[in-house]
Parts: sequence; structure tokens; C-alpha cells
Amino acid sequence: MTETNPPMLAVAGLRKAFGGLAAVSDATFDVPRGRITGLIGPNGAGKTTTFDLISGRHRPDGGRVRFADADLTGLASHLVARAGLVRTFQIPRAFPRLTVWENLLFAGADQPGESFWHGVIGTRAARARERALADEAGDVLSFLDLEHVADLPAGGLSGGQRKLLELGRALMCRPRMLLLDEPFAGVAPALIRHLVEHLVELRDQGITLLIIEHDLGTLVPLVDRLVVMHLGSVLASGEPARVRDDPRVLEAYLGGIGGRG
Amino acid sequence: MIGWLAFAAFFLTNVGIYGILALGLNAQYGLAGLANFGYVALFAAGAFTAALVLVPPSPAASPETATAVAGGLGLPFPVALAGAAAVGGLFALVMGAVSLRLGGHSLAIVTFAFAQIFGAFLAGEDWLTGGQFGISPVPQPLRGLVGSAVDYLFLYLGVTLVIVAGCFWLAERAAGSPFGRVLRGIREDETAARSLGKNTGSFKLSAFVLGGVLAGLAGAMWVGSIGSVHVGQFVPIVTFNVWLAVLLGGIGNNRGVLLGAFLLICIREGTRFLEGIPFLAAASAGNPSLLPSLRYVIIGLALILVVRFAPRGVIPERLRGRGQAAPPEQIPATEERR
Amino acid sequence: MDVLFQTLVYGFATGGVIAVAAVGLTLSFGVTGFINFGYGELLTVAAYTTYVLTEAGLGLLPAAAAGTAITSAVAVGVARTCYQPLASRGPLPLLITSIGVAFVLQNLVRIGFGGEPRGFPAPTWTPWQLGGVFIPKLQTVIFLVAGVCMLGVHLLLRHTLLGRTMRAAASNEDLARLSGLDTRRIVLVTWVASSLIAGLGGVLLGASQGDITPSVGFEFLLLVFAAALLGGIGQPYGAMLGALLIGLGVEFGAAYVSANYNYALAFGVIVLVLLARPGGLFGRGGGNAVPSEGGTP
Ligand SMILES: Nc1ncnc2c1ncn2[C@@H]1O[C@H](COP(=O)(O)OP(=O)(O)OP(=O)(O)O)[C@@H](O)[C@H]1O
Ligand SMILES: [Mg+2]
Repeated sequence: MTETNPPMLAVAGLRKAFGGLAAVSDATFDVPRGRITGLIGPNGAGKTTTFDLISGRHRPDGGRVRFADADLTGLASHLVARAGLVRTFQIPRAFPRLTVWENLLFAGADQPGESFWHGVIGTRAARARERALADEAGDVLSFLDLEHVADLPAGGLSGGQRKLLELGRALMCRPRMLLLDEPFAGVAPALIRHLVEHLVELRDQGITLLIIEHDLGTLVPLVDRLVVMHLGSVLASGEPARVRDDPRVLEAYLGGIGGRG
Repeated sequence: MIGWLAFAAFFLTNVGIYGILALGLNAQYGLAGLANFGYVALFAAGAFTAALVLVPPSPAASPETATAVAGGLGLPFPVALAGAAAVGGLFALVMGAVSLRLGGHSLAIVTFAFAQIFGAFLAGEDWLTGGQFGISPVPQPLRGLVGSAVDYLFLYLGVTLVIVAGCFWLAERAAGSPFGRVLRGIREDETAARSLGKNTGSFKLSAFVLGGVLAGLAGAMWVGSIGSVHVGQFVPIVTFNVWLAVLLGGIGNNRGVLLGAFLLICIREGTRFLEGIPFLAAASAGNPSLLPSLRYVIIGLALILVVRFAPRGVIPERLRGRGQAAPPEQIPATEERR
Repeated sequence: MDVLFQTLVYGFATGGVIAVAAVGLTLSFGVTGFINFGYGELLTVAAYTTYVLTEAGLGLLPAAAAGTAITSAVAVGVARTCYQPLASRGPLPLLITSIGVAFVLQNLVRIGFGGEPRGFPAPTWTPWQLGGVFIPKLQTVIFLVAGVCMLGVHLLLRHTLLGRTMRAAASNEDLARLSGLDTRRIVLVTWVASSLIAGLGGVLLGASQGDITPSVGFEFLLLVFAAALLGGIGQPYGAMLGALLIGLGVEFGAAYVSANYNYALAFGVIVLVLLARPGGLFGRGGGNAVPSEGGTP
């Protein structure tokens, strides 16, 4: 793949330690615009922590995060999301006592009704935006095949459904780029195929995707590019075929099972 | 007969005042999940503000005033209400700005401490608050409108109910709006809410201020109903009375917490009838603090039992599903869809 | 000079009492995971039972010992009936329940003894005189007793198997459970230890204040919280240091500024510490002791 465009996301030298443990020691990689990139590595490699650093959940000890030509390093997570970079969580964090429907509407951006007076009075602008969000949420529900559970509290969903809701909520933010943390884990196999199609569809709409996933059989055919992490730093990155054949990657996976798994 | 009616009016006025308090705490805890253990400070701030607005400029001129206060503003009741609401909100803003960065335990401790300190301030600053004696008498609001004292009780009940209705409307609208939805999301999972682009700190502060405004209003209504105010009325148990109303009625449900306020006042006033039990009447003759203490024991037990056996309260929070959205065919959406 | 020295001694005595209570509070927090708002009432119960037993003719020391034991029995009973069933429901239900317990206990004491202050049977010693400086004897003894208690806690935590398992359970309950520790038993033992310390704290509090009322413990609680937070909740050694600082601050504030604002001082300390270092002054930077996100009830 040629890299004529500037990357959508560029991280350089990200570092983070928890107590004495270096969870991420040197994460450096680019994510090309409008493509699907996979982020893989053995358990504990630091993939989720990397997402936490990019998305502003944790402040990095060092390094840079550039997104669409803006420097996001250390920015608060709600500002990162508003910049168009939205993440999901490995362990889904749906709002358990809100309905699926409300979970989706919650994430809608630019709702003037979120200010107290607009909300209480129910201004025209707030109502119009609410209708638009309801349409979007309806689309997301059918897109993810969640229509039948729309009125249920999210706490009652199955693990797979929660993963889907997590994705749906992120979509309601109108992201330019998605960071998906193990989107297929726990999702029924039939639905995974369906979900893969939808992720491709999202890419075709121009959304950039960075996906952490252990299910390599599903992930690798889907991605345009792979980044491999091991022990907190990036081991290899590039086209899937090249990366897969990299001897260091093989060793990390095999060694990883014995060493840190 | 008149006695019973007067009692009923007084009783319901109390329910109304605690109802407003419960609506306010529900905005903070029920909606946004913010455990305010110093809620009574906001109530007290409103009450003292209202008293200072209502008391005439030089109360020292009248011989029966026991107060050391230099004098109030002598302004009409609506000004007192507005002032109490504003000061309640302002106090909540300060309290929240200091404490809301902290979660769970620390928030509870800091707010609790805040109320204790505010109590010390109210007791210590005689020139403003009348110290231990407080401010007394505070002119009865709108007293000129009716003749007899009993009629006035009913008038005041009417005013209280109107204000409760207004507060209920405000709280309901806020809870059902996108504003309330964001708060409920923050309550469930603040990290997730932030990752979806919501500035959770400012939302929490808004919920806190809303609660403070309602507590301030309740303070003004309280002063008007009692006709005096002093620091001893604002002890920590008041905070937890309101908590009991919210927990009992239904966390997150505005109708529920109003019912909770009613049940709370039933418990409180009901314990007055303990005097009718001969054994207790005899015992309390020798120990004047027996019955009030017994009341607190009952309230403490109620807190323990509700948390243990009825954590969602009498009327649990209701789910808001798809049916709540406006029918899409009414007005076509203006924004283009993805 | 005289005032300075006396204030110092009073500060150490008050700090010692706070330290005893704060260590007891923080021990129970470490294992049960919630801040016990009913802890102050354990001090009250201990002070009153000691008072009653001396009225009944017992000497101060046996009365204090029996009072402490009774307090511990009350605490364990409360923990068994009220707190243990809620253990899996997160901190807030426990917090509210502990408030309920506080009101029940405090008002049972008030029903029993009325609201008026009772004179605590502390010995009336004349101060020592050392070259023109008066040293209050009672305060010195209070501080020494508190110091011995701290030493005991230290030995328990560092040098007994029980203490080590308590610390393990406090730092990570899941881990402790996985490694086969009997957490239920540890929780029980911690309650016993923490309430025995509360009992001693109550006796010392009564002695240092002279008069006791049914709300003596509840009012003291704020200082205890301040000390515990200053040291980092759940960290006994931090709490000891925090308590000495608060005790000195309170006594110097009362002697040189105004007695009205003792609590304001404590409060200011709480807020500053929490904002600057959520893990406490002596705690781990921002560790897991104070959860700062996701206030789900
Ligand atoms: N908040 C935290 N506090 C302490 N240690 C952490 C924290 N988050 C992650 N770690 C540690 O950092 C290391 C990297 O964790 P991370 O979750 O990033 O791995 P991962 O690559 O996502 O693994 P997995 O594939 O299992 O999800 C692990 O050793 C983990 O225990
Ligand atoms: Mg992970």
C-alpha cells in the first residue's frame, strides 16, 4: 500500500507505566485514512492501554498522538471523542439501567437539549435534533439487528448484544475514526459475518477503523494493514501478508503463550 | 375539628417542603448519582437567606425580638424565594466545584464535612445569623392577605403546593430531557459517558446546582412556615431524612420521592402519637429527650431496612424506551442522515 | 512559652486520640471497603459504658476494659446483622446503612442517659511542674496510652501472621480470596480489632474531653475522617501521622486563632489533600484507595 496521504492517526513513542509495570513502553505506528487497520498481539501486550492513551482515558507518560493533523496528546477523553475519534471498550460499558434506545440516543452529538434550559423548555432546536437522533438510532438498531431489544434495559443484554450496542453507541457519535477493542469477542458466529460486512460498509463510507482482535481468522482478511504489539511496544507493522510471515511475530505469539499468557 | 384541619394543613405543608428537598436530592443522587451527605447546608443557606430578606431593616426597634442580627432587607416574599434559590444554587456551585472531582466515598465525606463547617459558621457569625438563637421572628409571608391564623395555614399550604408543583414540573422536564439522559448515563458509567463526548464534570455540576436551587427554595418555604430560623434546625439528621425520603419513595423517580416525603413526614409526625402510649408517656415525663430520640431511632432503623430490603423504593425509576420519542412523521428531520 | 508548651502537649494528646480512632477506622476500611459513618458511635458507646461501670463502683481501668469489650461485642453484632448482608452491593448502601446505625446507637444512648453532658470519670491529676513549666499529666498519659496502642497495632500488622493476612486482604481482596485466605474470618477478626481500638479511643476521648454527651463520637468523627484521609484511607501508618498533624493543628488553632473554627481547619485539610493527592499525603499517588470514577450505587 502506498502512503501518499498523511495518516489519519499517528502515534509516536507512547509510554505508560502502572506502578512499576510498563504497560506500554514504545507504541509507534500510523493508521492510514479510510482503511481498516488491525492491532494484534498476545494477552497483556498493551493494546487496550494504547487505546486508553489515544482516547484520553489515561494520560501518557510520554509520546505523541496526532489525529487528522491535530495534536491530541493528553487531551481529555470527551474532547477526543468530539474531535471524531471514538473508542469502544473491551469489556462493554453499556449503561445498565438505561434502555438500549436511550444508550444510543445518549451518544448523539450536538444535542442542544443537553443544556439545562433547552432541555427543560424543550426548545424547537432540541426537539428537531431529538427527532434526527431518533432516526439515526433507528438506523443503527436495524444495522446491528438490535431492534427487538430497543426497549430493554441494557443490563439485561447478552454479552454479544452488549458488544453490538457498544459499537452502535460509538456510531451515534458520528465518528471519523473508530477504535474497536475486540468487537467480535462473544458475538455469535452468524452475527460476526454480518458485522464484518458492516465494518466494510463503514470503511466504504469513509470511516477509518483501528481494530484490536484476537480472532485472527476473522480479522486478517478484513484489514488493509496490521500492527503487532508485544510487551508494550510495536513489533511489526505493514501489509497483513508480510507481517504474518515476519519471524519475530511468530516468535512473539509462540513465546507469548509460554512466557506471559 | 379546626384543630385537625389546621394539623392537616401544617402536615401537608411539611410534606411539600420535604417534597421539594427530596426532588432536589433526587436531581443530585437519583439522576446524576452524586452522593451528597451535606445536603442540609443548601437547605440552611436558603432558609437564612430568606430570613434575612424578609426581616425588616431594624428589628432591634421592636422589644420582643431576641435576635442580635443587625437587620434584614424587609423585602417581599417573592424576592426571598428568588434570593434563597439563587444562594442555594450558588452554594451548590461552590460545594460541587470543590468536591465533584472526587467520586464515591470522598464526595460523601467532603460534602458531609462541608455541612458541618457551614453549621459552625452559622453558629459562630452572630452578626449575620443570630448565632445559636438565630433569627426570630421572621415576618410571615403574605400574612396580610387573610384574617384568621387557620386561614393563613391554608393559604400557606396553597402557596407551598403551587411551588411544589413548579419544582416537580422542573424536575420532571429535566429528567426526561436529553440533559437528564446524559446525567443518568454519567450515573451509570462516567468513563463511558466521557468516551462518548460528554463533559461529565460540567453536567455533574449542573445537577448539583439544580439540587441546590431546589433546596434553597425549600429553605425559604420552611422559614415562612416556621417563622424563625436557627442553626439547631439544620443538623445532619435533616440530610438523612431527605435521603430516607428519596430511598423510600424510589431513587430516580420524581413521583416516588414526593411519596417518600409523605411517608417520611408520616413517620416523623406519627411518632408524636407515641405519647399516647401510657408507658412511654410516663417515661418521657422523666426524660424529655425520650420521644425525639425514639423518633431518630425509628428513622435510623428505616434507613437500614429500606437499603436492605427495598433498595429501589416504592415506585422504582421507570425505563424510557423507544415509545418516548416523538413520532418521526411529524416534522421531517432537518439534518442529513449518514 | 508556657502556653506554647501546654498547647503542644494538648496537641499531642488530641492527636493521639484521633490517631487511635483513625487507625481503627482505617483498618476496617481496608478490609470492608467502606467508610463507616457509624464509627463515631462506637467511641460513644465505649465512653458511656465505662462511665456507667464506674458509677456502678468499678475502678476506671476495669471499667474501661469491660467497656471496650462491650463496644466490640456491639460492633461485631452490628457488622453481622447490618453490614455483612450488603457486602456485595458496593459502597453506597453500606455508607447509608452505617448512617442509620449511627442514628440508632446515638439515640439509644440519649434515651438511656438523656442529652445532658455527663462527667467522665477521668482521674483529676495535678500537672507536673518542671522548672516553671506545667506539664498536664492527664494529657501526657493519654498520649502515652495512644502511643502504646499504635505500637501494638504496628506489631500486630508487621509481625503476626494475622496482621500480614489482614494487610493482604486489605490491599487486594480478590487476590486474597484466590490465594485461599479465609476472607470471612479475616473480616470478622478485623472488625474485632478495629472495634477494640474504637473502644480504647472512646475511653481516651472521654478522658480528654472530661464531659461526654451522646453525640461526642459523631462530632469527633470529622477529625477522624480528616486524619484518615490525610494519611490515605486504608493506610494505618499514614493515619497515625495524619492524626498527629490534625491534633496539633486543632489545638494550636484553638489556642492562637479561634476555637470556633477547629472543624473548618480539618475540613480545609480534607479538601486540599483530596484535591492534590487523592491517595493521601502518605499514600500511593492516586491509588485504588479512593475510587474517582463510576459512582454507581
Ligand atoms: N489500570 C491498570 N492498572 C495497572 N495495570 C494495568 C492497568 N491496565 C493495564 N494494566 C497492565 O498493563 C499490561 C497491558 O494490559 P493491556 O490491557 O493493555 O493488554 P492487552 O494487550 O489489551 O491484553 P488483552 O489482549 O488481554 O486484552 C497488563 O500487564 C495489564 O495487567
Ligand atoms: Mg485488551
